[in-house]
Amino acid sequence: MAKLKVVHYINQFFAQIGGEEKADYPAEIRVGEVVGPGMALTQKFGEDAEIIATIVCGDSYFNENLEKAKADILAMVKEQAPDVFVAGPAFNAGRYGVACGTIAAAVQEELGIPAVTGMYVENPGADMFKTQVYIVSTKNSAAGMRDAVNKLAPLAVKVGRGEAIGASSQEGYIPNGVRVNFFEKERGSKRAVKMLLKKLADKPFETEFPMPDFDRVEPNPAVKDLAHAKIALVTSGGIVPKGNPDHIESSSASHYGEYDIAGVMDLTEETYETAHGGYDPVYANEDSDRVLPVDVLRDMEKEGKIGELHHLFYTTTGNGTAVASSKAFAAEFSAKLKADGVDAVILTST
Amino acid sequence: MRLELGHIYIKDIQFAAESKIEDGILYVSEEAARAVALEDEKIKSVSFDIAKPGESVRITPVKDVIEPRVKVEGRGGIFPGVIAKVDTVGDGKTYALKGMAVVTAGKIVGFQEGIIDMTGPGADYTPFSQTLNLVMVCEPVDGIKQHDYEAAVRFAGFRVATYIGELARDLTPDETKVYETCTIKEGMEKYPDLPRVAYVQMLQSQGLLHDTYVYGVDAKKIVPTIMSPTEVMDGAIVSGNCVSACDKNPTYVHLNNPVVEDMFEQHGKTINFVAHIITNENVYLADKQRSSDWTAKLCKMLDLDGAIVSQEGFGNPDTDLIMNCKKIEAEGVKTVIITDEYAGRDGKSQSLADADPSADAVVTGGNANQVIILPKLDKVIGTLDYVTKIAGASEETLREDGSLEVELQVLTGATNETGFNKLSAR
Amino acid sequence: MNRGNYIIVTNNPLVLEKHGETHNVVYKDVSYEDVLREVRDRIHEGHSMLTHPLSGSVKPNETPYKSIMISAERRGIDEGSVALIENAIHACGKFEFKSDRYQPEVYEDFKLIDCTLIESGMASADALR
Repeated sequence: MAKLKVVHYINQFFAQIGGEEKADYPAEIRVGEVVGPGMALTQKFGEDAEIIATIVCGDSYFNENLEKAKADILAMVKEQAPDVFVAGPAFNAGRYGVACGTIAAAVQEELGIPAVTGMYVENPGADMFKTQVYIVSTKNSAAGMRDAVNKLAPLAVKVGRGEAIGASSQEGYIPNGVRVNFFEKERGSKRAVKMLLKKLADKPFETEFPMPDFDRVEPNPAVKDLAHAKIALVTSGGIVPKGNPDHIESSSASHYGEYDIAGVMDLTEETYETAHGGYDPVYANEDSDRVLPVDVLRDMEKEGKIGELHHLFYTTTGNGTAVASSKAFAAEFSAKLKADGVDAVILTST
Repeated sequence: MRLELGHIYIKDIQFAAESKIEDGILYVSEEAARAVALEDEKIKSVSFDIAKPGESVRITPVKDVIEPRVKVEGRGGIFPGVIAKVDTVGDGKTYALKGMAVVTAGKIVGFQEGIIDMTGPGADYTPFSQTLNLVMVCEPVDGIKQHDYEAAVRFAGFRVATYIGELARDLTPDETKVYETCTIKEGMEKYPDLPRVAYVQMLQSQGLLHDTYVYGVDAKKIVPTIMSPTEVMDGAIVSGNCVSACDKNPTYVHLNNPVVEDMFEQHGKTINFVAHIITNENVYLADKQRSSDWTAKLCKMLDLDGAIVSQEGFGNPDTDLIMNCKKIEAEGVKTVIITDEYAGRDGKSQSLADADPSADAVVTGGNANQVIILPKLDKVIGTLDYVTKIAGASEETLREDGSLEVELQVLTGATNETGFNKLSAR
Repeated sequence: MNRGNYIIVTNNPLVLEKHGETHNVVYKDVSYEDVLREVRDRIHEGHSMLTHPLSGSVKPNETPYKSIMISAERRGIDEGSVALIENAIHACGKFEFKSDRYQPEVYEDFKLIDCTLIESGMASADALR
């Protein structure tokens, strides 16, 4: 069988160009070169595949010039016409992970070339792209390179050849929401007994079917006296003053914003907009009250239905933002809301 | 209780003038077996056939699969309350004919029932491709009601299996396994340091073709109760269901319950296998509440540390499974549950109709919606007329080249929820 | 529970024929899924679920018939009932639609099985106070 042609994508760090200070390095292609982790991949590919070109791009460059970087890289990949595209592995590097996921998904979607990547399960790129491309589950640092390559290379060969892909536990990819049948070595009853023994001994065990995510929050008791209550607005819909003064990221937000709306009766096209990159912003930009209903609450304030609208609102973009980050943001501004005597919060999404 | 289970290996089945077992070969007199089947006047005719592993044979529509056994020592007989008189079983000595099964087939309703392929891709999924099968296709008398026909075929299968089992009464088993349970007090004294564990088995109990019988009693009418795990080995629980064949327990699975076997294997070593608790899966929600309250209560009263809960069927039983799991866990008893999945043909849908965070240890028998192409086989035992109407199949199932495009649902026992198979999913 | 205490919502003519005169049967000539929606609407009006909406092993989109028992009495909205019916409606989507592909006589069997399932619930209900 002819060797599969592979194009490999890595960031400036793994290309040994530099760290954060070189993260604005623009995309370039090195035809015929095998760079950094490509060496280990090449070794593992053996006779099955070879890297015919390596694309290097700085993480900041990619994320800040998303459309251009994507278009440039897609053109480079198209030119090489590989059988399979491999990005990373990105381990726990957040922006690198998002870049790997973005470009792998784009190559697959727009060029029709199968793609795989790899990263740590908590990398925000994993949650964002696991349903779009196969993402091999890696350790959280580059110390896990060998383990990552051992899964990434065979999976790349399989998708490159268009072979059937087995279950996540067999192939080593992060579960992607698609249930795949396969035969275990032992029958179910034996697996159940073994699982029970582990559970009884308080040892770690792995369920074969994780229940759907139950991050449920018990609702607070109803606000009894709305007419005297101080109500605040909080949104993950990315509403910010025009110009996005605090540069809240369009996705994978690293922080939230706190803005004063004292005296603001209505959010207009001239004064507010959304920073969110995960939905069509046209209607939110036209009238941000559609996401953050300041106008309606001002009316209710006037009518005496609510006591008052708190003069500060809190905002971030929910798009691709890690759950851990969201929790941290909320813990911080909830304390502020409490200190300011807010009785209730209206939390809007998109 | 102490049950010695003698295994008699059957290497071949042949039709002959006289029924007997000799050198591991089962000879069956069709005439004698027919007479046994036709004892019920509701059955007009019966035809027998033999299907062997690897042969290009498809059996359908399958109703039940039964392993012939005979009780040689101790109280009662095989299938108490059904064939033998009501008497407590599970103690003494029983012989089982290993490597073979009696398979009943016959159309009861037009959309029903399962497929057993003896070769090809389907054979990888149904466990009964591995047994030598004595198949009996029963035709009912004209104008019979479905209820009566179902019962007639069910009983005919047990009669014939019992008849075959009796042929082994005077043989010497090739191998003997001993299953011994303790009383509550004995167990505590004997294994003071071992975790106390039980098996909670949920039984189909929803209505026609969805029923299970315990000592002859419709499981819909029981409240959860405790059995010695050896009782099922003598046929204390039998199947009356076959719709959506992949995750129904044929009687064969009750006789050879894999959770019972695998818990016994650890009994006295890593666990103290305290009891076999049975409960049901009724459609009426108050029944579900009562039954799950009771299973949790029994787990508590038995001072259990852990339990394995197995399911039977889809949808309605998902709710029982989660209720049982949640309530048993709430009593401080750790659970592992066994289920199967309906994740859609693309595997992307939510697998169960109910869920709870306490169900954190799940074993799955795989996605029953997975599509499989079953090639045309040389011989069909039963009739293909109905294959196109079985659950998971449709009128358009039969393709031009004679192959069938179906979901795993139609294969008898394919995604069994007692953990009978190796199939799983992630 | 006596038979005045529950309502059977069904699209199965056999259930109407057998039990319509003696029981409170609401018959609608609608799809399986629409029976579930009909029940959902009633649950939001305060009726509670008495039998499981996915009773039986014949899957939604395979059998066209469904009968469900709800309380005649209306109280506050029962959250358990809401969750059950929503999950059931959701489950319909994952099965291939083929309830229009069977030969005519098969539909009689679908009716019969659905009828035995609801009768099993009725037997339980009638046995309770």
